[in-house]
Amino acid sequence: MTSPDIHGAQRLTPAELQSVNFQRAPLGRRGFDEDQVRAFLRQVEQELVRVLNEKAGLENEVARLRERIAGSPPGVSTVKPEDAHIQAVRILSNAQQTADQYVADAQRYSREITELARRGRDEILSDAQSRAVLVLEEAHRQASSAAEAVAPSTEPMSGDERRDLEREIAYLRTFSDVYRTHLRSYLEALLRNVEEWEKSERDSVSDTRASLPRMD
Amino acid sequence: MDAQRLKDNFAHVAQHGDQVALFFYSDLFLRNPRLREMFPVGMSHQRDRLLSALGRIVSQVDNLPDLVPFVQQLGRDHRKFGVEALHYPEVGASLVATLRYFSGPSWSEQLAQDWTDAYNLLSKVMIEAAQEDAASRPSWWNAQIIAHERRRFDLAVMRVLPDRPFPYRPGQALSLEVPARLRMWRYYSMANAPRPDNTLDFHVRLIDGGPVSPVLVRSIAVGDWIKLGPPIGTMTLDERSERDILLIGGSTGLAPLKAILEQIAARPAPPRVHLFFGARYVDGLYDLDELQKRAAGTPWLTVIPAVSDHDPGPAAERGTLPDIVGRYGRWQEHDAYVCGSPGMTDATVDRLLQLGLSHDRIRTDKYADA
Repeated sequence: MTSPDIHGAQRLTPAELQSVNFQRAPLGRRGFDEDQVRAFLRQVEQELVRVLNEKAGLENEVARLRERIAGSPPGVSTVKPEDAHIQAVRILSNAQQTADQYVADAQRYSREITELARRGRDEILSDAQSRAVLVLEEAHRQASSAAEAVAPSTEPMSGDERRDLEREIAYLRTFSDVYRTHLRSYLEALLRNVEEWEKSERDSVSDTRASLPRMD
Repeated sequence: MDAQRLKDNFAHVAQHGDQVALFFYSDLFLRNPRLREMFPVGMSHQRDRLLSALGRIVSQVDNLPDLVPFVQQLGRDHRKFGVEALHYPEVGASLVATLRYFSGPSWSEQLAQDWTDAYNLLSKVMIEAAQEDAASRPSWWNAQIIAHERRRFDLAVMRVLPDRPFPYRPGQALSLEVPARLRMWRYYSMANAPRPDNTLDFHVRLIDGGPVSPVLVRSIAVGDWIKLGPPIGTMTLDERSERDILLIGGSTGLAPLKAILEQIAARPAPPRVHLFFGARYVDGLYDLDELQKRAAGTPWLTVIPAVSDHDPGPAAERGTLPDIVGRYGRWQEHDAYVCGSPGMTDATVDRLLQLGLSHDRIRTDKYADA
């Protein structure tokens, strides 16, 4: 640039101030002291550099604040408000899908556990039932064989026969007592199990309930 | 408003499936954060429901005689969620934003106007229906549990007392919400005809992994409060009919039939009634003693229990309900009421049709399996 005249449309830069040349005044006419003019231009140039730096800094600051408002990650220079909204919608949608996944997983887990417990219960019950049937059948069989042992002897029993029979009856009583005790403790253990399950479940649910607001 | 343009645009948008509803709710909650608490934590069912309701509305947008009753019911149904007139514009704005987003370049000012007009029209219908409803009944009833009886480890019968009279017709159901599972409304049928003391009975079966039924069966206690929505349902007694009656209930599908039975019992000259009550195992016939007591003192009532999955001995018939019903007598001259799981209900209706009952004499209600 050689002309000192600056067009309105063109922006003045520090480099232009450095390279500016003034034509000498025609002979016989007076002019400014050239050194003074150059010194002043240097001063203007330094001021302009400072102003431009400050402006760039402020622009960065504005962009940074805009980004913070929009919640977008750094690196994206400027975000239009509608884009920021779409981004927020996406973030919220992802969060919702994660929550949905957790809820679905928890429900599936709970269903599997309950199904397992239900199957276990059915097996325990049918097992107990068939054991009870076996015990009864065995007792029945013993009883009828004892009865058969007694029935044919229409003649009065000898002392030995009576003792044998008494021993047999005593044995059957013990047998029946033992099995009854077995069966009782087995069923009691089952009941305790069931009660513990129910209690722990009640506790867990009433904890949840206590923490929730009561509706009116 | 160009109905075809709306349908085409919706078909285009609906290709994105669940994403559409996901976007809609995120947009709605971002613009109106206070609306979030009106919804449950898990939103997948909510999104399915939104899409199916929208699909139905759009498909009938040029068929107002069919559409308006559906939309009015939607408006009434939303009262119990706490929805008010001021929420409608907020929802409309998010709906249009969602449609615009998924329409991409095919969006136009014309479409925006069409959707806005359609939404304004339908929301007006919903708001008016809700306001009309509000003139005659509350948004919901508070009810206290006054009795609760476990009939099996996974079956309970409970009685509640609403804070205000709760008018309904026997056979109807309501949706209820328990404090331990907020925003999760579940449908249950009243198991009794309306009583002078306003109490209501419900039969609840625990659904494995379900959120609400385990609370109702295992942990809710006498003295607890629940919320009740208004009565709904069309499986009600045809009071003009003089015909004999067939009631067929699978498991807790018995509940609405018991209410209908009580209504019949109040008639001066009850018709003959056969009540079939089925379960998989004999201990699933949780209300049989009570039913048999009723039948013993009631010449017009016959109760037939059925068990499908094992041999119940002399306690009940063995087989599925459709089979047992088919095995017993001829039903062509009867009115039939069927309630149970979807599978049981469909199979029973099919069998009744085969047996010569006509469609208009069969009324059904299915309970949801989840």
